[in-house]
Amino acid sequence: MNDLTRRGFLGLAGAAGVAAGLAACAGSGSSPTSSAGGGGPIQFWSNHPGTSKDTETKIIEAFQKANPGFTVSLIDGGKNYEEVAQKFNAALAGGQLPDVIVASDVTWFNFALNKQLAPLDDLLAAAGLKTDDYVDALYNDYTFNGKHYALPFARSTPLFYYNKAIWSAAGLPDRGPATWAEFKEWAPKLAAVVGADKVPLQMADGSNYLDWYFQNMAWSMGGQLSKEWTATASDPKTVAAGTFLQELAKNKWVKFSKSPDAEFSAGIAACALQSTGTLGGITKNAKFDFGTAFLPGDGACPTGGAGVAIPAGLSDERKKNAVKFIEYLTNVESTVTFTQATGYMPVRKSALNNDAEKAFLEKNPRAKVAVQQLAKTRSQDNARVLVPGGGARIGKALDQIVQGQDVATVFAALDKETQAAIDSQIKPKL
Amino acid sequence: MQPAAEVATGVRAGPPPPVGPPPRRSGTDRREWLLAAALLLPNLALLTLFVYRPLIDNFRLSFTDYNISSPTGATPVGTANYVEWLGRDDTRTILGNTVVFTFATVLISMVLGLALALLLDQKLRGRNVVRSLVFAPFVVSGAAIGVAFQFVFDPSFGLIRDLLTRVGASTPDFFQDTGWALFMVTTTYIWKNLGYTFVIYLAALQGRRIDLDEAAEIDGASPWTHFRRVLLPQLRPTTFFLSITVLLNSVQVFDLIYAQTRGGPVGTGTTTLVFQVYQETFVNMRAGYGATVATIMFLILLAITFVQVRVMDRGSTA
Repeated sequence: MNDLTRRGFLGLAGAAGVAAGLAACAGSGSSPTSSAGGGGPIQFWSNHPGTSKDTETKIIEAFQKANPGFTVSLIDGGKNYEEVAQKFNAALAGGQLPDVIVASDVTWFNFALNKQLAPLDDLLAAAGLKTDDYVDALYNDYTFNGKHYALPFARSTPLFYYNKAIWSAAGLPDRGPATWAEFKEWAPKLAAVVGADKVPLQMADGSNYLDWYFQNMAWSMGGQLSKEWTATASDPKTVAAGTFLQELAKNKWVKFSKSPDAEFSAGIAACALQSTGTLGGITKNAKFDFGTAFLPGDGACPTGGAGVAIPAGLSDERKKNAVKFIEYLTNVESTVTFTQATGYMPVRKSALNNDAEKAFLEKNPRAKVAVQQLAKTRSQDNARVLVPGGGARIGKALDQIVQGQDVATVFAALDKETQAAIDSQIKPKL
Repeated sequence: MQPAAEVATGVRAGPPPPVGPPPRRSGTDRREWLLAAALLLPNLALLTLFVYRPLIDNFRLSFTDYNISSPTGATPVGTANYVEWLGRDDTRTILGNTVVFTFATVLISMVLGLALALLLDQKLRGRNVVRSLVFAPFVVSGAAIGVAFQFVFDPSFGLIRDLLTRVGASTPDFFQDTGWALFMVTTTYIWKNLGYTFVIYLAALQGRRIDLDEAAEIDGASPWTHFRRVLLPQLRPTTFFLSITVLLNSVQVFDLIYAQTRGGPVGTGTTTLVFQVYQETFVNMRAGYGATVATIMFLILLAITFVQVRVMDRGSTA
């Protein structure tokens, strides 16, 4: 009897082991089952840009209230855009797809190129939804082969933040520098005021989007990182911009860190280049008066941030549900709610005519500057946003420059790497 | 009565050789086989599914060009990825980082772990509390420790800056200087891993032969002689076990590096082989090349483990 019991146990254990293996193999997530397109569960994967989880939840609750039958699960997709993309890649391999993902300016294209995102034009048209109210520059950022692959959601631009007390002590006018050359004139005055422990300008390092901000420097000096599908970092004007950045670093007029907003908010930096998406956080944390201004160089401001996209592998019904949700997520009311909470750009033209938004901007001139700068933006260079690993590759080159390596040599090597990636990974699929 | 041959040799003869067809396996034999199969098969199935199959799949992918997002799969490229790895500028840097990080963590965490184990093996007041404190970081996730240690090393706000400022020294930029960045991730990992080496050494020390300690004491051995001639030889299997497990764990550290530096500064300042696998696969979208680096890493680890086993075998038979 005792022998039989042990065998029974072993048999059960073996069966349990195999079952566990099969269960693990099948994946742990559950796929939302679809209904007839008029309702059902929706999985929304987000990194909650601009610490917006509470705001996203608020919008989701409003959506569910306005659309009974829909239940939206807000899933943590990672702490940044790249982690959401990695999680989505894993989902593509495993077949358990979300309904909506946050797709950033640097991650959406690879998925669109590989036919993993659904083109939205027909889906939006079928649902009777119009797109002409989206800010054209932001909506068209997601265009590939004449089709749009995302709707603008948490869209941002870099913004120039400055400490008014330090500005005043340095005898500078209450505004940002009009050009980088003007900033270079101001930098010694700022350095004299802040002293050795602090720094005139704080920027993100090469691992944390310095490549995004550097486009402004390059464009304002007539350079760029690529023209269409040709890498152009070794263009003399781009090299001049790299040399300018190197000089700022050599003179200790700029320091680089993971999160410049922390240094700026703590009063360690006289000014900082940061996303408009951090405006809410800086406003909350800074214990001093600060101003915001356009980036130096008229019309040399890159767009950035993220949109919302729908996986191509979903059923038609799930796509219809997802379209309904992303349209709500980016409608005028949601845009107003989201931008006021985070500092991101209004993605709808009519949001600027919304009474609540007008009142908010009047009360918050710093946010108004960010919105006004939208007219001065341009789409980013392909080398950064459309070439896989572009941001990391350019960031690495900029780190090398900041540490004193020869600018022309570094940018020549960068061009070689970028072009190789374009030729092998993109051109065959265009 | 014994046969004469048996009496002469003193060896009992075996049973006579079987004649005819082999006997059918008894019911007991079959039950033993079934029991063995029931015990082994589930584990073998899981190992095959989650270890051997991915290993073979990785090896296959290493000979392809494969964008991880592509639904069309991989394109064969022969040995091109291996040739590229051998010729790339960053290969030397990344291998160097891996060697420095791994050997520093293995050596220092083992030496410190042993020292702490020797200390906390003594009858000291509050030793159980200290033992728990030393072991605690090992069970905390690397990502959490990585984030927490940013506040230690941050050149603007960190604890180290605070301490150095008090003595009038300047703070290195742990996040921008490649040497200091590697120092930072290595130190952080040693701190996290110390509890593991400590607890294993402590267990070994507590299982040692007390009679040898007493004999050494009677012989008047100095503490150093006692340590070198009595304790260390008894700890040899533990040292061997730790050298392999700590090495394998160190080579595979990812979360901590991701949280602290993302492999930077300067792109590859703290990039190790395992981090390069991630970078190529998920950032540069080159899963084929990532698989190549993973295969090379596997082969290097296999070779090192093989050498360690041989050295240990020689040591134990000498």
